[in-house]
Amino acid sequence: MPDARPEGEGRMSQTAAEAPASPFELMATALAHDLEDGEWVEVGANLPVPRAAALLAHLTHGPNMTIMLAMTKAYLRDEPLIEEFELITDVRAQRWAEAYYPHDRLLSEMRFRRRGVFFCGGIQIDQFGNSNLIGIGHDHRRLAFRGPGAIGTCNATVHNGRYHLVTNEHSARVLVERCDYVSALGFGDGTPGLREELGLGNEGPRYIVTPLCVFDFHLETHRARLRSLHPGVELARVVEHTGFAFEVPDPVPITPAPSPHELSILRERIDAQGRLRGAAAG
Amino acid sequence: MGDRALSGDDEQTVEGSRRPVVTDETSAVAVLCDGMTVGVGGFINAAHPMALVRQLVRRRLKELTVVGAASSGLDVDLLVACGCVAKVVAPYVGAEGLAPIGPAFRHAAQQGLIEVWELDEALYYAGLRASSQRLPFNPWRAGVGTSYPCINPDLKEFEDPIRGERLLAVPAIEIDVALIHAAVSDRYGNVQHDGTGYGDRAIHAAADVTIVQVEQLISPERIRRNPAATSVAGADRVVRAPYGAHPFGSEGYYPPDREHLGEYVDAAQELLRTGSRSRLDAYLARYVLEPRDHVEYLEQVGLRRLVELSEY
Repeated sequence: MPDARPEGEGRMSQTAAEAPASPFELMATALAHDLEDGEWVEVGANLPVPRAAALLAHLTHGPNMTIMLAMTKAYLRDEPLIEEFELITDVRAQRWAEAYYPHDRLLSEMRFRRRGVFFCGGIQIDQFGNSNLIGIGHDHRRLAFRGPGAIGTCNATVHNGRYHLVTNEHSARVLVERCDYVSALGFGDGTPGLREELGLGNEGPRYIVTPLCVFDFHLETHRARLRSLHPGVELARVVEHTGFAFEVPDPVPITPAPSPHELSILRERIDAQGRLRGAAAG
Repeated sequence: MGDRALSGDDEQTVEGSRRPVVTDETSAVAVLCDGMTVGVGGFINAAHPMALVRQLVRRRLKELTVVGAASSGLDVDLLVACGCVAKVVAPYVGAEGLAPIGPAFRHAAQQGLIEVWELDEALYYAGLRASSQRLPFNPWRAGVGTSYPCINPDLKEFEDPIRGERLLAVPAIEIDVALIHAAVSDRYGNVQHDGTGYGDRAIHAAADVTIVQVEQLISPERIRRNPAATSVAGADRVVRAPYGAHPFGSEGYYPPDREHLGEYVDAAQELLRTGSRSRLDAYLARYVLEPRDHVEYLEQVGLRRLVELSEY
């Protein structure tokens, strides 16, 4: 594989390349393992973990995946180095583009999204998989903390074939019993069949992926339950930093770490700048 | 203007002549008044019509409803900071990693100084579409079961008469004047974007009047070389404003000026953190209120900085 990096930039020493996977690299790998060939993955603004997950799946087992990056549609398997852009409007992303979408088209054409997978964040994510980007407080006209707003998450979590919740911060502040407001509906209050009754087009969030663990949802109660702990993470730490009670399987599975091959793809082709190797909160 | 001479002094005189729509930013925004609904194009850190926006602030307009872009940027934040805004219609106001939430917007929203018409990007385009179709509303599915109908009671849940499904009725977002930044136009208001133009077409289509500022005025012949690229066919007013999106980027011309945006963000964050407007007011005086027009703004920013901005 040719090395397209300018000299002196992003070249790692042997020790750095062999360092164990960071929490963000584990998150990206867990999400990548779930993605399937043929799916469309739209990566929104400033989300290094979902971006890396989509690219890792595309490069390892997704030759027919469509990656939607900075409003372009791209095929990236032949790219030795996939540069990361900090801003969604960065024109340099167009070098890979097979299509470049006017934004109103992306938000109007919903039918193709049945093959789509989406990643949704939240300033709060609750035990029923609801997400809040609206704000914190009791009076929505005078929020104690005004959030960024739903952006497109309210829509994308309905029209994509499936989605995951992702948070870079595992804390009781983010992972709460009930969201103050719901901008992207998960399982509501847990009422069975709610999403079907509302006519929402998918089965709801599959995982909550955090820097410490992966949750999935109980098929009947729709409550989050522990699916796996990331390598080296103690259960007590997850309990302490989670704002809702959750079911724990016995024994507790460990989130599969990236293989050496996956780790080298992550570090050399996807995340040469090392954004995933930084410290995670929580 | 002048075209009349082309008809010569034949016995058969053709009545009238085609009217150019080119004007300057000062005259262009004269159409605006207090309380209007103003649409502002662009996308987060790109392509906001800042020459027009700054001129609007100089006019000290009040009580505007600002329809930002689907993901709007610090353009809306600046309008809020200047006290021009009563209500914001936008699913996002911020600058991604440079400022995840617009600081002045956040301050005003938390203090209850502005009303925020809460919605998601798809609901936003449904509202613009309703306006462009001259319908009272457009239906949309996503949003049912969320907090949106509660915190924005204008969004009404209803049972659709065809299949009996639960949907949201998104009222038409009717824009009085749309302000847009684009790459080029001819003198008759045939505008072409470089790149996709983000949601600018939808904002234009939802508006009664569209004012477009462009990096370059070009000949009608050049527009006709690629008519499929014409994104706004017949803007009401065109303003020539090189570097007109600064400090935001303009596709095909220059990227965002991060240093300048950082200067604004720091000033606006001081307002959010401490309630003190001193740094923000100094920024606004220097870059918005003291320059009399777009050229004086560019002089204030400085030629060297502008020339240094390069996309590649």
